[in-house]
Amino acid sequence: MATVEVRDLRKRYHNFLALDGVSLKAESGQLVTLLGPSGCGKSTTLRCLAGFLEPNGGEITVEGESILSTPANRRGFGVVFQNYALFPHMTVAENIGYGLKLQKVSKSELTTRVNEVMDLVRLGGLGDRLPREVSGGQQQRVALARALVLKPKLLLLDEPLANLDARLRDEVRWLIRDLQQQSGITAFYVTHDQSEAMAMSDMVAVMKAGRVAQFATPREIYQKPTERYVADFTGEANFLPCTDVTPHGEGHYSIAAAGTTLDLDGVPGIAAGAPAELLLRPEALELTAPEAGTFRGIVTKSAFLGSALHCEITLPDDSVLKLSAEPNTPVSKGDTVGIAIDRSHAWLMPEVAP
Amino acid sequence: MRLPSPRLLLAIPAIALIFVFMILPITNMAEMSFRTTGTKDPFGEDYTLAHYLRIFGDTYYWGVLLRSLLTAATVTVLCLLVSYPIAWHMSKAKGMKAVFLYACIASPLMTGVLVRNFGWMIVAALNGPLNETLMALGIIERPLRLLFTQGLVILALVHVFVPFMVLPINNALRNISPTLIEASTAMGATRRDVFRDIILPLSFPGIYPGVILVYVLAVAAFVTPALLGGQMVSYMPTLIIGELTGTFQWPFGSALAIVLSLSTVVVVAIFTALTAKLMERSKA
Repeated sequence: MATVEVRDLRKRYHNFLALDGVSLKAESGQLVTLLGPSGCGKSTTLRCLAGFLEPNGGEITVEGESILSTPANRRGFGVVFQNYALFPHMTVAENIGYGLKLQKVSKSELTTRVNEVMDLVRLGGLGDRLPREVSGGQQQRVALARALVLKPKLLLLDEPLANLDARLRDEVRWLIRDLQQQSGITAFYVTHDQSEAMAMSDMVAVMKAGRVAQFATPREIYQKPTERYVADFTGEANFLPCTDVTPHGEGHYSIAAAGTTLDLDGVPGIAAGAPAELLLRPEALELTAPEAGTFRGIVTKSAFLGSALHCEITLPDDSVLKLSAEPNTPVSKGDTVGIAIDRSHAWLMPEVAP
Repeated sequence: MRLPSPRLLLAIPAIALIFVFMILPITNMAEMSFRTTGTKDPFGEDYTLAHYLRIFGDTYYWGVLLRSLLTAATVTVLCLLVSYPIAWHMSKAKGMKAVFLYACIASPLMTGVLVRNFGWMIVAALNGPLNETLMALGIIERPLRLLFTQGLVILALVHVFVPFMVLPINNALRNISPTLIEASTAMGATRRDVFRDIILPLSFPGIYPGVILVYVLAVAAFVTPALLGGQMVSYMPTLIIGELTGTFQWPFGSALAIVLSLSTVVVVAIFTALTAKLMERSKA
C-alpha cells in the first residue's frame, strides 16, 4: 500500500560505519528481504526504517515523502522482533489490542478487530493467556497479529523465525507470506537464512559490510549474482578462476577455465582480460563418461545422501567441483569422470575484493 | 534411616537463627504482654488482658499508632518518588559509572545511625546551614524551626531508606528488555504511555520489596524520631522504649510492641493482597 525508498543511508557508531550508503526500493505490496551475515547492517537498516535509530545521512521516503523527521510512534509501521517483544504482563488479547487502545478506538471495535486478527493468525481461544503460557510459535503469531491489527503502511520483520524450530519455521514463514500478500502490505524482512529469503521475497538485498552488494529478484540473486560474495551467501556454489576473458557484446563472453574454452553469459561490463570467476551451481553440473564431458576429473569424495549422491571432483588444475548426482550413479572414489555443463546455469562474475 | 534432603540441611542454620533470635523472643514478649505488672519482678504471676484493653480504650494510643503508620506510609511514598528516577538513571549506567552510582546510593548506610542523626540536628538547627542557605537564597526571611518537627523526621528517614528502594527497583528496571519499549513505541505509544503501560508495571517486582522494606523499617525506626522528633510528638517505638527502659512497665511495653507488629503485618498483608494480581503478571 506504500512505496518505500531508502537512498544512500548512512549510520556511524563511534568509529564503526554500520551503514555505508544503503539504497533500496520496495514497490507497493512487495516483500523485500535484507539478507546477510550478522554485522552487515541489515538490522541497522530496519531500525532506521522503524525510527528506533536516526541515520547520519541519506533519506527514507514513503510514497515519496520523507519520514526521517517523523518519530517512531507516529510512523504507523508494524514491527515484529526476533524475540517477539511481547508485553509479559498483558494477556495475548491485551498485547494485540494495545495499539488500538492507544488510538482510543471504541471497546467494541477493539474486541472485533482483535478477534478478527486472532482468527487470521489462528490464535482463537488463547486471548486470555499470558504470553509465557503459550508456545513459541504462538508467541510469534501474537507478535505478528499485534503488528497487523493496526493495518500498518509498512511491516518490518527482524529475523522473526530465528527462535523457532525448523518445523514451525516453515509453517510461520508461509503464514507471514500469505498474510502479507493478502493484505498487500509492503514489508521489509531481515534474515540471515538464504532459503527463507529465496522462498518469501519479491526482492532480495544481499548486504555486505554496510552496503547492498546486490538488489534483485531471488532468481537473479541466485542465478546471476554480481560477485562471489553474493553467490556464496545464496547457496552451494563452485568457483573456477578464468583467463582470456573476451566480451562478445553486452553480457556475453568467451573464457578459458580449467583447460577448456567456454561461451557463456555473465555480469555485463567485464573488460577483456580482466580477472573473473566462473560460477557453477551444483545443478549446472552433470556426471558423464570421461570423454564426453566439458571437464574431466577424478572423484575425490562421494557421499550417499539418500535423495542424491554428493560428489567432489578434482580437476587437473587442482580446483574442486561439488555436485549432486543421481543417487544410483555408479561412481566411487578414485574414478575418472567427465562433467557436462549446462551453459544456462553457468555465470561469469568479475573478481571483487571480498 | 533416610537422611534429610541436602536442601533441608542447608536451611538448618537459617532456621536455627530465626528460631533462637526471632521466634523465641517474640513468643516470650507475646506471653509477657498478657502478664500483670510486677512490683519486684519484670512481670507479675497472673495473666490479664488489661494492657490491651488499656491500649484500645485510650485514644492517645490509637493516635500514636496511627501517626506511626501514617508517617511510615508518607516516608514510603516519598522514598518511592525520590528513588524511582534514581533507579531509572542507575539502570542505564554501565561499568565504572554504575559502580560509582552504587557507592553514592549506599552512602547513607555508611554512616552510623547516631552520627547521621546528629548531623541532621546540625544541618537543621536555627542557625544551621539549611536555614542559612534558604535565607541567602531569599526564599525565607527568618530561620525556620526545622528541628524537632515531623517533617524533619520524615526527611531524615527518606534519606536513609533510599537505598532500600533504589536497589530493588534498579534491578527490576534492568530486567525490562529495551525491545519492549521499542515495540510499544512502534505501536504508537508516547514516552508517557510507555512509562505508564510498560515500565511502571514491569518494575513492580522491584517496587514491591522496596515498599515493604522501607515501610517496615520506617514503622520500627526509633533513633531518628527520638532525636529529631523531640518531646512534642510520640511514635510507637519511642513510646515502647519509654515503657521498657523508662518506667520498666515490661508487660505494657510488650503489649504496645505486639500491637505495632501486628498492625504492620496487617498493612503489609493489605498491600500484598491489593497488588497480588499485578505482581503475579509482572514477575519474570
